[in-house]
Amino acid sequence: MEITRKDFLKGAAGATGLALLTPASAALAKDSQTRQGMAMLIDVSKCVSCWWCYAACKEYNKLPETSRPDLSDPPELSPEVWTTLHPVRKDGVWVSRKKACNHCTEAACVEVCPTGALSYNQLGYVQYEKEKCSGCGYCVEFCPFDVPKMEKTTVTGVAIMNKCTFCHDRVTNDEPPACADACTTGAITYGKRAELITQAEERVAELRRNGVEASVYGVDEAQGLHVMYVLDGAPDLYGLPADPQVPAAGTVRDIFKWIGSGLAIAVVAGFGLNYLVARLRMRREVK
Amino acid sequence: MTEARVVERFKKRTIWFHWIHTASFLVLLVTGAILFFPGLGGAAAGGITRSIHRIAVVFFVGAPIVYFILNPKMSWHFIKETLTWGKDDIQWVRSAPDYYFGGDEEKMPPQGQVNTGQKMWQFIALATGVLFVVSGFIMWFAKDALSSGVFQWFVIVHDIAFILALLMLLVHIYLGVIHPRMTESLRSMWNGKISETYARNHYGKWYDDIARRKG
Repeated sequence: MEITRKDFLKGAAGATGLALLTPASAALAKDSQTRQGMAMLIDVSKCVSCWWCYAACKEYNKLPETSRPDLSDPPELSPEVWTTLHPVRKDGVWVSRKKACNHCTEAACVEVCPTGALSYNQLGYVQYEKEKCSGCGYCVEFCPFDVPKMEKTTVTGVAIMNKCTFCHDRVTNDEPPACADACTTGAITYGKRAELITQAEERVAELRRNGVEASVYGVDEAQGLHVMYVLDGAPDLYGLPADPQVPAAGTVRDIFKWIGSGLAIAVVAGFGLNYLVARLRMRREVK
Repeated sequence: MTEARVVERFKKRTIWFHWIHTASFLVLLVTGAILFFPGLGGAAAGGITRSIHRIAVVFFVGAPIVYFILNPKMSWHFIKETLTWGKDDIQWVRSAPDYYFGGDEEKMPPQGQVNTGQKMWQFIALATGVLFVVSGFIMWFAKDALSSGVFQWFVIVHDIAFILALLMLLVHIYLGVIHPRMTESLRSMWNGKISETYARNHYGKWYDDIARRKG
């Protein structure tokens, strides 16, 4: 087995004993097995591109209106568009894949967020507290799905990120996210992640019996997504990376944070030692 | 009581430059460190520190440019001194540990206007300054034009410059302000003068030069 970054960080934490400087990622050490929580399952074979999920998201989250959505010119994810449809040309017709935050179990955005605005909710999704966002934009650059979007003024640097919140207020009150609630065809199901995996596998088996090359996406990707998909084609056809990862630069950054913190402490401790020794020897010399 | 004889070490404008640059760098350091060190990120919430970082960088970049325009000769001299290394520097590196741990002062090779340690600090300051400004400028203005992969590595370049600059700044502050041997260092960056004795002990070659020129 490969050593994961989690293991590495845990090892590093133990080795150096710098508990106070533990990176957020290690402090939130999590077991993907126990953090199953809740999830959504998107079945692309049932989606009819009606845009009700899009409209419900806009309405519930009080996002300003954008252009009337159309599969020939779909809106991209933006600070005002938290979910959209990704158009796919398949067997001569247009179909779509609902596109929004996939709420990874090992989420690059959470790993790189310096302020804790992005965190892991115990229900499994990536929780976003907008008031904590500093606008650094690391999440935008590190997300393997290109989901977080920035509202920003270049000159002043004032910026704030926006993305799907998994309808935090709804799901913490036992209500499904607005998009799942609005779906007209059952293409979006909300429920316990473990149960949705079973449901997805059954659906895949059913599709396969009908001769469709179906598969589930998101069971193991990024240690498990909390938005999973039943696909009837390859992931990249649906605009999903085959192997989404926390970019290597994220791990390198974590290592540098350790090195930087360790060296700074060592140097300051060295000053203390140096001061004492130098003082002592200089005094002896004067005598 | 007779006043101790003094020599001029820094010009007024150099002192101004030093402290403006210091102030702007400290602001940049603090507003950056909260994003770097785990657990401090809460201080950046709301993003005001982002704007402060950008205001400070105007002074951080502006001060050396203005100084260079006003004193091109001194600036070139400074850069040349920083990059010129000779036998004495190697000797200095060999003798330095003992010297800074309170050893015999006489064993230290005589130094020019800036000693080898100061050259190292100046080199790090120049090098990290370039790394900071280039990577920072790109992350500020070219973010949308860059692919995510490239952007991520510029964040790391900024991180590396931060670690190097922070460590050397700590050393610089310790030696300038606290070290028991550097008794006149901080004061000289305030009024520009050091005593002849201090000059002779710390910058022997430089002191001899001045003394010779005075005749």
